[in-house]
Amino acid sequence: MRFKPSKAGPPEVDMTPMIDIVFQLIAFFMVITNFEQTQADERVKLAKDQLAIPPAVKRENELVIQIGFLRDENARNLDPQPFVFYAGEDLRIEAMEAKLRLEKQIYQDQEKNIKDVTLVIRADAEVPVGVVQELIRMAQDTNIGFEKFAIKAIQKQDQK
Amino acid sequence: MKIRGSRSADKIEAQMAPMIDVVFQLLIFFMLTLKIIEPEGDFSVNMPLGQSPTDSQSISTVIKVKMTSNPANGWMESLKIGETELFANLALPAEVPDEIWTKVYGGLPIDPQPMRQQHLRAQRAFESLNNQVLGVIGAPGNPLADEQEVEIDADYELNAQYLINAIGACRGAMRPDTDGKLRMVDYIKKIKFSPPHAKRTP
Repeated sequence: MRFKPSKAGPPEVDMTPMIDIVFQLIAFFMVITNFEQTQADERVKLAKDQLAIPPAVKRENELVIQIGFLRDENARNLDPQPFVFYAGEDLRIEAMEAKLRLEKQIYQDQEKNIKDVTLVIRADAEVPVGVVQELIRMAQDTNIGFEKFAIKAIQKQDQK
Repeated sequence: MKIRGSRSADKIEAQMAPMIDVVFQLLIFFMLTLKIIEPEGDFSVNMPLGQSPTDSQSISTVIKVKMTSNPANGWMESLKIGETELFANLALPAEVPDEIWTKVYGGLPIDPQPMRQQHLRAQRAFESLNNQVLGVIGAPGNPLADEQEVEIDADYELNAQYLINAIGACRGAMRPDTDGKLRMVDYIKKIKFSPPHAKRTP
């Protein structure tokens, strides 16, 4: 009896599991980076300015506070006074003092200096300037002690 | 006995079906979760705690920008740099047709005419504020401008949009680079608020 010698060619590699894993990894990292950016509340329609250039390096410590209006589906304000959207609650600006104290406590527990934390304000384009200033004044209070502030805006320019 | 050579089955075909399954799954996942986020930037601002006594030296390095508003809707009514008025003396622009409003300014067709005219008028005022600031610092990147400070004094009810535009106009300008790309040139980096005004009743 004679067997033909089987020709052993180069072994073929099954690519399918590798591609599966690669796509899984891509998906994982894309989701992670998306979560990093989502410190945004859709109810806040930011002011626009061409100079609002996204920072090249992300700040290490920042606390983002959202101020906006509750609106109906036709974009009309349901309440003339703005709200602070904080941790799932809709609060009036006056209620923020207690919350800022709480934030300070959290930073202290993490052994971070409140002076190094930037308070980033995401204020709706229609929010009165006075409300923004009130928030800054509260945060500057000697019992709280924020020192760095920033106001967010969307970088957009008229196509002129 | 004769055993057939398996030469014809030498080549293993790559299984494409599972790969396509996974690719479609991912495609659908990202299509559903995609939320277009416009790039967001921010402006650093400062608000001094107490009103420090102003001496002659500090006055010379502080540019005062004052904005007043209509208490009913928060629209800007005047914009002053020092004593120079930049907004109230501007003529009301012509009505803006829907097409230009939506295409050029990215607005909505339902936006009323007065709002469009206010936007255009404010935009012109902030352009002249930008020019005035440039006039004060001389040239962009002037080292003397590091000492300059802008103090923004705004009414309580003024919409935050105008505040952002005023900060932007003092902060710098976008200029085309040698390769034609728009780059930001710095004017004044130190921007502070004056103490807040009291709320008015419209």
